[in-house]
Amino acid sequence: MVQTILTRLATSLLVILGASVLVYCIMYLLPGDPVLLMLDPSSATPEMIQNLRVQLGLDQPFYIQFANYFGDMLRGDFGKSMINSDPVLPKILEHFPATLALTALSSIIAITIGITLGVLSAIHRNGVIDFIARLVGLFGISMPTFWTGILLILLFSVQLGWFPAMGSDGFSSLVLPAATLGLVGAGFIVRMVRNSMLEVVNEPFIVALRAKGLSQRTIMYGHALRNALIPAVTVIGMLIGDLLAGTVMVETVFSRQGIGRIIADALMAKDLPVVQGVVFFTAMIYVVLNLLVDISYAYIDPRVRRAVRT
Amino acid sequence: MNRSISWMKYMALAAVLVLVLSGCGAAGNSNSAVQASGGEQSAGQTEGGNLTYALATSPDTLDPHRSGLAVTVRAIRTIYDNLVVQLPDGSIKPWLAKEWSVSEDGKSYTFKLREDVKFHDGTPFNAEAVKFNLDRVIDPATKAANSLALIRPYSSSEVIDEYTIKVNLEQPSQAFLGNLSQALLGIVSPAAAKKYGDQLGKNPVGTGPYTFVKWDENADIVVAKNKDYSWAPATVENEGAPHIDTITFKIVPEEATRIGSVQSKQVLAAETVPPQNIAALKNDPNQQLLQANTVGLPYTLFFNLRKAPWDDVKVRQAVQSAVDVESIVKTLYLGNYERAWSALSPGILGYNASLEGSINPDINKANQLLDEQGWIKGADGIRVKDGKKLTLHYVDGSPNREKRNDIAAIIQQQLKQVGIAVEVEITKDVATVIYQNWDYDLYGNSQVNSDPNALYAFYHTSAEGERPTLSGLSDPKIDKLLEQGAVETDPDKRVDIYNQIQQYLIEQAVILPIYVFPYTVAASKSVQGIKFDSLGYPLFNDVRIQP
Repeated sequence: MVQTILTRLATSLLVILGASVLVYCIMYLLPGDPVLLMLDPSSATPEMIQNLRVQLGLDQPFYIQFANYFGDMLRGDFGKSMINSDPVLPKILEHFPATLALTALSSIIAITIGITLGVLSAIHRNGVIDFIARLVGLFGISMPTFWTGILLILLFSVQLGWFPAMGSDGFSSLVLPAATLGLVGAGFIVRMVRNSMLEVVNEPFIVALRAKGLSQRTIMYGHALRNALIPAVTVIGMLIGDLLAGTVMVETVFSRQGIGRIIADALMAKDLPVVQGVVFFTAMIYVVLNLLVDISYAYIDPRVRRAVRT
Repeated sequence: MNRSISWMKYMALAAVLVLVLSGCGAAGNSNSAVQASGGEQSAGQTEGGNLTYALATSPDTLDPHRSGLAVTVRAIRTIYDNLVVQLPDGSIKPWLAKEWSVSEDGKSYTFKLREDVKFHDGTPFNAEAVKFNLDRVIDPATKAANSLALIRPYSSSEVIDEYTIKVNLEQPSQAFLGNLSQALLGIVSPAAAKKYGDQLGKNPVGTGPYTFVKWDENADIVVAKNKDYSWAPATVENEGAPHIDTITFKIVPEEATRIGSVQSKQVLAAETVPPQNIAALKNDPNQQLLQANTVGLPYTLFFNLRKAPWDDVKVRQAVQSAVDVESIVKTLYLGNYERAWSALSPGILGYNASLEGSINPDINKANQLLDEQGWIKGADGIRVKDGKKLTLHYVDGSPNREKRNDIAAIIQQQLKQVGIAVEVEITKDVATVIYQNWDYDLYGNSQVNSDPNALYAFYHTSAEGERPTLSGLSDPKIDKLLEQGAVETDPDKRVDIYNQIQQYLIEQAVILPIYVFPYTVAASKSVQGIKFDSLGYPLFNDVRIQP
């Protein structure tokens, strides 16, 4: 088990490195000149532009720029924003808690609604609950997040006045953005859990359990759910990653602070060091999440645990 | 069959639920409206309170000399003062400078400064501080942005005594004094600029009516009343410290959220109201709509005169006659934006009002002009000459800011009628497409400015090695007029010069002016005293919030 985790860690490091190299190349090759974006093109003189380019080291060939960047990053220096000279790493660390809180609450909403509705709809197949669950699933998957967000603002802030429309002060401002993202997540989980529950219900071991005279309740919650959760956990793991990425849109709609806003702004401004920093950081989180998902399989499914041991 | 019926039943139920919920909300709103108007009458002169003001985008830095964005000015206007102020009629009045004199050759200004002014960090404001500021803008190490263009043709300054400074220019400029009134040439504390270096933008220190408190990136900027303030400019009534305690600028890029947060009373005011919300806000008893037209260059489409066939005035005039600007502006902005007629916007010195109504759509004239020039309609309806189709490459650099992408789409339809094919390219990378490769036939831009000399950068033949202008116009007659306009001291003659230039630009169809951008603010009725300066930027010295 320990060895598996170590191997996974090693490959994870490669993934992170690969991701940053890739992003560096893409940003480098994209048309457009960051210096021209920093200075107002209608008033800057060619001389000013050249000076700034030298100052930022952008006059150097690609491989030198790249080597400089990597050397600094290995020393823990993610560089400074080209736009306002803010150091990148402290900026990410400062904004990450807000994004984490949003992801955490929306995951809780997604998982709670998703699993509950998924299980209930499988048990009461074609009933009222099944209908509602499928509606939630369809809504969550098909509505664009910004649209859901604006609808929630219109209903719960403008009309009812229950929650603030924007900002990142306190729990009340977290509710609507988390609900927006949570609905999307719930949509995926409902469908996943419902389908795998329905599959499991028809498997021979459930038939055997029924034949032994166990109650419907014990069969469903004790045996079927546990088996149905394995594919769901994979989806949830990936989903938390998606939610982290989905915060870009939601943080903009609800004017929240967070790393989603940082990367959106940085991409617009072609602020290379910031984009690199955030990508590196999120790649790391994805990798850790994947690792956790793999480990959790082993706990849920004895077959996986045994396979890992041998 | 049965299943579809139960589907419909649930859908109907859901619809009823939504209606009931929104109905409740509407009822609640009208109740609070009654309360708000009742409170307004009984309120007297109030002091204190916090104004929350939603900005549409985030300022880039609070260092005025380094900023390139108009949104920054809304925030830095509260923190910094300028040497002089410009009134809406164009006249220049004292601010941090009490009085000034101009040398006979027009190349140096001597300013007498106020002696009672202190920066927020306690350091004194004096001639040394002014010299430091002006030199800072032209120092390449500052990485100055728009402020550098404003300060030209500044060369040096001499401290005469503690409160007297002589400022020297490379050549006379009638725009210089007016430019000194612009917020991007606000006076920063030299002590703070030395202490914070390139982080001054995060730790701004000025002499303004409000002092900087904090800036949480992407969330808000907070400024607090400067109790010692007593040197307000003539653009506001309140000469002393502001009435309110703090202003919180909230950054809310999504327009539906921004308007939603005013309607839900989460903020007291929000800027840049989308045209489709303006009518609703005007009828809302809780809200007021404030509007100030910005001055400078209206949103203008520039022909690239360097590229054929747009170097031919008749072809340009054909486009001018084929585009129905009136209907574009009416359709897109629902009567809330004014149509532009000239290269300058109304309200600026030298604006040529006689151009209003001068150009009207005339499809026959457009067709005739193109026929004359040998562009004959082909089988597909597109005109052809020497085997080349008549196509116009229209570039727009904004993700539909102020519906500019929609303008492109309508023009595409309108020009199709006269046989011109329009290829619209929408790209954020204006720096490369426009300023580096010059790969456009028509491109739109606007600029906030208080002096007609702003035309110089757009229409004067560009010098060798300098960045070419957007229009690529090169006419010795216009060059001479622009040079004269920059130095002419007689206001009447100056007005005449700029009138001629504007007349020429429209007659020669160098540009298609489209709309004048109104800066709009939706505010709760409880907010009073938001004023606008001569450029259309908000001023908060007189603001009071009724409880």
